[in-house]
Amino acid sequence: MKAIETRDIRFSYNEKEVIKGISFSLEQREFLGIIGPNGAGKSTILKILAGILRIKKGTILILEQDLVTMDRKRLAQRTAFVPQETHFALDFSVEEIALMGRFPYLHAFQREEKRDLEAVEHALAYVDVMQFRKRPINSLSSGERQRVVLARALAQQPEILLLDEPTSHLDLHHQYRIMELLKKLNAEGMSVITVNHDLNLASLYCQRLILMHEGCIYADGPPKTLINKETLRRVYRTEVKIIQHPHKDVPQIFLYPEGASHENHNQ
Amino acid sequence: MTRYIPVILIFMIAVLVGIIVGPAHPTGEIIQLRISRVILGIFAGGMLGFCGCILQGLFGNPLVEPYTLGSASGAALGGSIGILIFGAISPIFAFLGSLGVGFFVFTIARMRGGLFRDRLILAGVVMSFLCSSLVMIIMVIGGRELYEILYLLMGYLGIIINAANRLFIILLIAISLVLIIFLYRYYRELDIISQGLETAAGLGIDIQKLSLIIFFTTSLVIGLTVSIVGAIGFVGLVIPHISKLLFGPKHLYNLPASFILGATFLLFADAVSRTITVYELPVGVVTSLVGVPFFIYLYKK
Repeated sequence: MKAIETRDIRFSYNEKEVIKGISFSLEQREFLGIIGPNGAGKSTILKILAGILRIKKGTILILEQDLVTMDRKRLAQRTAFVPQETHFALDFSVEEIALMGRFPYLHAFQREEKRDLEAVEHALAYVDVMQFRKRPINSLSSGERQRVVLARALAQQPEILLLDEPTSHLDLHHQYRIMELLKKLNAEGMSVITVNHDLNLASLYCQRLILMHEGCIYADGPPKTLINKETLRRVYRTEVKIIQHPHKDVPQIFLYPEGASHENHNQ
Repeated sequence: MTRYIPVILIFMIAVLVGIIVGPAHPTGEIIQLRISRVILGIFAGGMLGFCGCILQGLFGNPLVEPYTLGSASGAALGGSIGILIFGAISPIFAFLGSLGVGFFVFTIARMRGGLFRDRLILAGVVMSFLCSSLVMIIMVIGGRELYEILYLLMGYLGIIINAANRLFIILLIAISLVLIIFLYRYYRELDIISQGLETAAGLGIDIQKLSLIIFFTTSLVIGLTVSIVGAIGFVGLVIPHISKLLFGPKHLYNLPASFILGATFLLFADAVSRTITVYELPVGVVTSLVGVPFFIYLYKK
């Protein structure tokens, strides 16, 4: 059984087609990164898979069930979505935020049961925010807040995790922690899709990449074959140098600053 | 839960004040009049507080109040037309007015695709302005009915409940109660929406459907309330904030607390409106007069 299978999905914002017939699939326990320039449709794809945006054409199967006809809460038990940046208008405690991840399992007026509290406990411990559990969310740093959001997603006990640029507002340390957490989750059986602007992070952590360009899939494959000079020149319109990571057999990208000649760098 | 106890105690004091305090000595008939007035106060204050809380939650906007969506202005317009025709306040006209304007707001918000929720506020505010202008025109035409319309616009709890309208008013109160109990079930959704619509949708909430349900139900409740007691301001805007200061952000606690606090506040305001001058002031004047300094004090703390 595949975790996700999409066939010819299309999506438009006010008449403008932004997803132009995309088909791909995600194996279970796979770690997929979606990359591509701004406006390529990366986040849109993710929001479609999370049930936030509704497609008009095409089919999406989530663990062999049709997403369009699936009950919304049922979908939220199988996939969890982590948005790019969360603004907390009301100052709930860390624990209360994580408990909201149990929403798909609860009816109105139903009290949280032991299994809900255990799921929250486990999630808080997993992302290492147990020591903040009673603190108001807005008293945390943005890196800590992003881990709390991840805890809320884990409290949903999903089979598939969807993350929209989870590291884009974070410092080096917190980028590293989030990506390591995702790697660990993936190793324990979670299927993961992350949209990433940082190509080096994506190359380092994802098993497979999908490169989006103008609403279509431009390339699909492991980082090693997908990330190359020619492709990046075409899709990103940028000259880069690519070398191998010193400790891992994956490509890493370097830019040429203005004034530096390509020849010097090629020496 | 124990945090409710002081709030309920103060509420009970407010009920007593509502019955005892006033220019006339509280005997037999006066007490009866005051009891019906207290019931109206609890009803109106509670509904305004509750609806304010749920709307601020849905829109994630601390400046939204029940009147933002236009149904109150609609009720004022309908009521004014009723006064012009019959020379007296008629709840049915007011209610029809609020329904009509609510429907217009809905239609305008739906005209273009996209997120219904965010268009509602704009449509509601625009329709409120239109209704206010129309009410002004009616006041100018009406002339001598101006006084009655003023009470409708500012709110007044002293309408006399008699054999003719008793059943009608009890029915309206009962319907409103059923409707807000129905709305109360969305407390979790409202908590989650405070973290943004994407998060909410990702957790399985159908935003479009939820907005529709809350818009229609609160419009109905506010329409019913305003058609009986007029457009009492300030309660729906400020009570939810006070409730959050006392009970924290969870809507499970906030919604009932906003009901009780709204009722309490309106009863005190009404007692003041009866005693502060020789003439009875519209209670809406007092809610703003007393409420603003009180709110500033609380916010500073």
